[in-house]
Amino acid sequence: MIYKRIIYALLYCAGEFHLSRNFRLQKVGNVEWLKNNFGFGETCNFIDELIIINVTPNPTQSDFKKYFEDIKKLKEKIFVPITLGGGIRKLEHAKKFFANGADKILVNYLAHQESKTCKQIASIYGEQSISVMVDYKKEANGKLNTFINSGKFISKSLKNFISTVKKIKFGELILNSIDKDGTGAGLDLDCLKLIPEKFNKPVLLMGGAGKPEHFIKSLSQKKVSGIITANLFNFLGRGLEEARNYSIDKNIKLVQFKKIDL
Amino acid sequence: MKKKVGIIDVGFGNIASVINAIRFLKHDYKVVKQPNELKSLTHLILPGVGSFNKAAKKLKKNGWHPVLKKFANEGKALLGICMGMQLLFEEGTEHGTTEGLGLFKGRCEIFKKNKNFPLPHVGFNLVQHSNTKIWNGIINYSPFYFVHSYRVLPTLEKTKVGITDYGEKFISFIEKKNIFGAQFHPEKSHRAGLVLLKNFVEKIR
Repeated sequence: MIYKRIIYALLYCAGEFHLSRNFRLQKVGNVEWLKNNFGFGETCNFIDELIIINVTPNPTQSDFKKYFEDIKKLKEKIFVPITLGGGIRKLEHAKKFFANGADKILVNYLAHQESKTCKQIASIYGEQSISVMVDYKKEANGKLNTFINSGKFISKSLKNFISTVKKIKFGELILNSIDKDGTGAGLDLDCLKLIPEKFNKPVLLMGGAGKPEHFIKSLSQKKVSGIITANLFNFLGRGLEEARNYSIDKNIKLVQFKKIDL
Repeated sequence: MKKKVGIIDVGFGNIASVINAIRFLKHDYKVVKQPNELKSLTHLILPGVGSFNKAAKKLKKNGWHPVLKKFANEGKALLGICMGMQLLFEEGTEHGTTEGLGLFKGRCEIFKKNKNFPLPHVGFNLVQHSNTKIWNGIINYSPFYFVHSYRVLPTLEKTKVGITDYGEKFISFIEKKNIFGAQFHPEKSHRAGLVLLKNFVEKIR
């Protein structure tokens, strides 16, 4: 069977994990803090995947080193597929991410460039190992525009982006709504109208998941393969487990992770 | 006898998660890069992702075939994960036919084309298991994480198998005495995967 996915995302910047609201970051704590608070480990027992995005501006070699070290610490007790990304511009970067334990990498900037780099990465690690994430925002006239550099610069319209992204090699597309980011007010579904019926890659939505009803509303869409939540506080403790089980009760096709004693 | 798990690193695929899992389970382990490093090992894990063709050729060229066969024939526990499972079979058919280890009879072929089931098969999927020792404590139809485009087609022999449905029912787990193969990644499959690895080390010999 093919199941839908609930994915947890963490934003990492300069040694600390952050919350984000409309792309403005707020520090919450370092890796030790995360490991020991908010039932993070418990929450991870109920997710399909974990994404950890390094949003450190202009990351230096030592920023990357620290990021990879912290991920290593975080991974000690987490046994799920992990997607890593942030600042990947060339093949050498991607290789580093895979060598540091990425099952998939996240590319954003590269996907705006119709870059050959994705082709090179795919030829070594496979298309399925590349997740394209695109940040977009609704303009006053209702048009959806995509942004690069953490929402700083307009790139092209989302419509245009979706029609050109097909030219690069990748495994899945993540649509991240800047407007909904961190609001917990529900996910944007308008973007789905721009996805052609024949689009043959999994589409995931990010931004705005705040309560279990939001999971149902988005995951019940035929075009949606999964949703991503980055809000540490909206699904505290058993929150994510309950939201997952609630969705399963409402006939959303998710696998059920059971508690097992080791 | 004290248990010690060897994790084979021949340069295909990420062994970090497997190491992580064995370390989490507090078992003694050793990363094995050469076939002459198997002394003192009671258990061996062969992980792998990527091209069967390349991996199978590399295994053969580096002299792993007789050593792994000997290890298995001595009754020591061997577990192939993902492509590591496929390598335990007689042959693979990616870019022509390549010889595998032949510890299980059968071959490894790409999934039949089906537009509703894109390849690779990625994500969690359920495994209907055979209730053997290695599955102890794991509820039947538990979810495990998969990433693959090829699946094994065993020929009839005395094996116990686990079954998964992805457009067709395929063999996602196989065992014969002390030899095991998992098409999924137990090291990325939450608690259920850890229990499977724990059982492999603690309950098998």
